[in-house]
Amino acid sequence: MEQQKQIQALSDEYSGFQTELSTLVAARQKLESQQQENKSVQKEFSGLTDEANIYKLVGPVLLKQETSEAKSTVEGRLNYIETEIKRIEESIKGIQEKCENKKMEIIQIQSQMQQSTGQA
Amino acid sequence: MASGEKGGQIDLGSLSSQQLSQVKKQLDEEVEHLTNSYGNLRGAQHQFRQCISSIASGVAESTKGKPLLVPLTPSLYVPGELSDTEHVIVDIGTGFYVEKTTQDAVKFYNGKIEELGKNIKDLENIVNGKTNNLRVVEEVLRQKVLASSQGPQGGAQAS
Repeated sequence: MEQQKQIQALSDEYSGFQTELSTLVAARQKLESQQQENKSVQKEFSGLTDEANIYKLVGPVLLKQETSEAKSTVEGRLNYIETEIKRIEESIKGIQEKCENKKMEIIQIQSQMQQSTGQA
Repeated sequence: MASGEKGGQIDLGSLSSQQLSQVKKQLDEEVEHLTNSYGNLRGAQHQFRQCISSIASGVAESTKGKPLLVPLTPSLYVPGELSDTEHVIVDIGTGFYVEKTTQDAVKFYNGKIEELGKNIKDLENIVNGKTNNLRVVEEVLRQKVLASSQGPQGGAQAS
């Protein structure tokens, strides 16, 4: 009975980690798509001349922006996204490790239970 | 995804029907998700095509000077007139818009369409592969079920 409770607690923790993991993975995917979009914008900018008119959507209006300013904005975003992806990747790794550890603990207890019932 | 491919490499016959139906469920989900993405890509491609035809029909020289109605909201229009048939402003993503000549805009959209076309082709291959996997899994599962319905011993021999 004692062990049953332990297993219950452990598997609760385990599923907690699993949900955490899936939110992190979703966040990572979102970042990835943002990165893609920004990259294509950057590619588009690189093919423009300096006189090109670039507008930025601010609320419902388009504001004219300097080419250099727009380029640096996108570059800044890409840098930010990259660091974010790295950060999230690390958290994912951490959670995965925790998941793995919990799984091992559960398996251990389960095999202990099986042994004790086998002896009894 | 990994287990689906593993399932193909491992002898499918060695899996229990329960495991097989799990693999099938997973594959089903994947195929559905991929088919959705496929539809989305197609939709996006279609939208870009529409942009091109809008440029061709709406911003052409022949439209110059003709009165037109500009929608402010879906139910409110103001009369207007096209003053510039040379330039359009193109949404290039993440809230940035670039003024382009109509030719450049068409080029831009064609580039996008081509890019999407590549993605669509890749996706098509993946979907086909997955559907094939799914078919194999279904077939094995069906045989399992048939064998086990002929008696538990028959099922044990088949596996």
